[in-house]
Amino acid sequence: MTAPGPTAVTPYRSTVQDEARDGFGRLLLAEWTKLRTVPRWTLTLLASVALTVLVALLTAAGAQASGTGKGISDPDRVQIHDLGHFTYQPLAGDGAVVARVTSQGGGGAWAKAGLMVRGSADRATPYAALMVTPGHGVRLQTGYKGDGQGGGTGTAPRWLRLVRSGTTVTGFESADGRDWRRVGSVTLDGLPRTALAGLFVAAPNTAKVQRRFGGETVDSAPSDTRATFDHVSVSPAWPGARWRDRGAPGGPADQGTGGSTQEGGTFTLAGSGDIGHDAFADDVTRVTLTGALIGQAAIVAVAVLFMTAEHRRGMVRTTFAASPRRGRVLAAKAVVVGVASLAAGLVAAFGAMLLAAPLLRAGGLAPPPLSDPAVLRAVLGTAALMGVVAVLGLAVAAIVRRSAPAITIVLLLLLLPQIVATGLPLSAARWLERVTPAAGFAVQHTVDRFDRAIGPWAGFGVLCAYAAVAMLVATWLVRRRDAA
Amino acid sequence: MTGSVMSSVRGGGAGRAVRAEWTKLRTLPSTGWLLFALAGITVAVGAAVTGSVDTADCVTPAACEEDTPRLALSGVRLGQIAAIVLGVLAVGGEYATGTITATLAAVPRRGTVLAAKAAVVAGAVAAAGAVGVLAALAVGRGILPRNGFTAAHGYPPLSPLDGATARAAAGTVLYLVLVALLSLGVATALRDTAAATTAVLALLWIVPIVTRLVGDAAWRERLEKVAPMSAGLAVQSTRDLERLPIGPWPGLGVLAGYAAAAMLVGGVLFAVRDA
Repeated sequence: MTAPGPTAVTPYRSTVQDEARDGFGRLLLAEWTKLRTVPRWTLTLLASVALTVLVALLTAAGAQASGTGKGISDPDRVQIHDLGHFTYQPLAGDGAVVARVTSQGGGGAWAKAGLMVRGSADRATPYAALMVTPGHGVRLQTGYKGDGQGGGTGTAPRWLRLVRSGTTVTGFESADGRDWRRVGSVTLDGLPRTALAGLFVAAPNTAKVQRRFGGETVDSAPSDTRATFDHVSVSPAWPGARWRDRGAPGGPADQGTGGSTQEGGTFTLAGSGDIGHDAFADDVTRVTLTGALIGQAAIVAVAVLFMTAEHRRGMVRTTFAASPRRGRVLAAKAVVVGVASLAAGLVAAFGAMLLAAPLLRAGGLAPPPLSDPAVLRAVLGTAALMGVVAVLGLAVAAIVRRSAPAITIVLLLLLLPQIVATGLPLSAARWLERVTPAAGFAVQHTVDRFDRAIGPWAGFGVLCAYAAVAMLVATWLVRRRDAA
Repeated sequence: MTGSVMSSVRGGGAGRAVRAEWTKLRTLPSTGWLLFALAGITVAVGAAVTGSVDTADCVTPAACEEDTPRLALSGVRLGQIAAIVLGVLAVGGEYATGTITATLAAVPRRGTVLAAKAAVVAGAVAAAGAVGVLAALAVGRGILPRNGFTAAHGYPPLSPLDGATARAAAGTVLYLVLVALLSLGVATALRDTAAATTAVLALLWIVPIVTRLVGDAAWRERLEKVAPMSAGLAVQSTRDLERLPIGPWPGLGVLAGYAAAAMLVGGVLFAVRDA
């Protein structure tokens, strides 16, 4: 009988310490369990989805194709301007058009005078336009969009050259006609072999604000612009070609302001209206997603309660005893409630878009396609918005520690422009939409409208900044204060 | 001896309950802040809104048809928050801390307790609201002429003694009182400060937002007639009354209906439920 060898007895070690230190994953799990197991909160998150979708259906049911009533169903056509004045010759195959813009007048900082190559004289055909502007330098625009390539401070007089090669159109500019600088190039799918090339002028509509009965109405009015050109040439020249003028289909009734005159080598063009996007078009995507304004109230309630419930029931002492690193607890809470709200927002935003589509079609409007990057950004942005709003709510709740004031403060911040802006002048209302967390709703914009207060991502950034600052203050206070 | 105590409790029951509620409200530190916020926000936001409006975008200053008293009093749209929170906390706070059991042990008649709370909250909100409204009118009187709203253009200086302006001012104070009572009623019914605040804020703020989104004009007008905030604030209008979806006093009546319904439901639930 041999003595049993010394058995290796592993001394008992508590695993609690390890698990407590195990880190963020366990904290997340703990907080997720807390959120998941309160039926009221789950229901409230579902209510947020339902409210958002319901409002989308409500707005879609009331939506009617505005304007001409001709049943325009193609959004690409409905939301653009294709006016101004265009004087052209046919251009067979590859070639170039050159001119010098000698002077330009009227139409504001975005008045356009320059060269254009386009598929036909019809409305909404593909085009490339190289232009001088009084306030935004030399630009190459296409696709009925604003801004475009180029920039700088160049103004008339300016030499411009637009070169077509296959479906690629490249713009050049020069101060003296000798040193050419490339502005940019665009690819025009569907540009026919024989295109039109020539001179154009255009100017964006101006917004006419009128205040009456304590409210403001905004009308868009086409503005007039004119420009003179010389050293105009199209190469290769079409045999026996004459300069022709394009009318302005769907343009203002007064055609008297548009036209061109030619005297020697100098062309004078006068036109009214713009070639580009319609800054007064309805933003169907944004209107469909407006329900988020209402759905966020439920999100805020859940986020605030997720924090204050701990204080109210004294649960926070247990929570902090289990994981003494309070900053991480707060971070875990923020992640859990943020992601849960993000998920609710995703369901709400996609649900709103998909369910509103048949109603929009019934009203004669084309539902915004999710394949459009701007629309997709708006939809995903709405979901992200819900997540960030939840983090903001949680942070404010951690600072205030009481439900009623926290909910009031957060909703006030988010709805401020909606509450007070009704009687405010537009400029003041835009200012509110820039500096309050409500700026985050800019992420829903898909049309660069005249009343845009802030860019989509910039606005979302403002909301994120508020949430980040609130989280920092909350973390600092949670660490410093007694748990009560 | 016992009889005299009993009789004094019975005889002065309502008065004592009011005094007790007044002591509770008065000694809460939040009350002072909320009443200060009520008046302060009303004045500050009213001044900011009034200061941002001028006649530049009107055809002529007279063609603005601006309702200057309404403009000067627009701060209550935000100032009412304080009235809401005060109304909610007056009863919701007791449920949160559990003092409601002590309150009901002292004054077992629940109707009396609720009425006393309502009286105290209404009185406090009316006092702070009156201060805020009068100060907002005074500030508006100073700002408006500088922005082109002068007597020569058909905008007489604001005065709380002028008939229509007096109605707007008094109506605004009543509006604040009714909002506070509505909040009190909702909080009594829901017994939870967070739920009550969210519910009242949603009713007041979110309903008008939804209203604006409704495409059909007839439905929009119908909703504006029944939404508590847009109907109640009709009382601030002093000109072009025919353009309003609902008249000034009927509008305030709609809000009063909401407040009465909330108090009634709250009162019934308060009476039949365990504390």
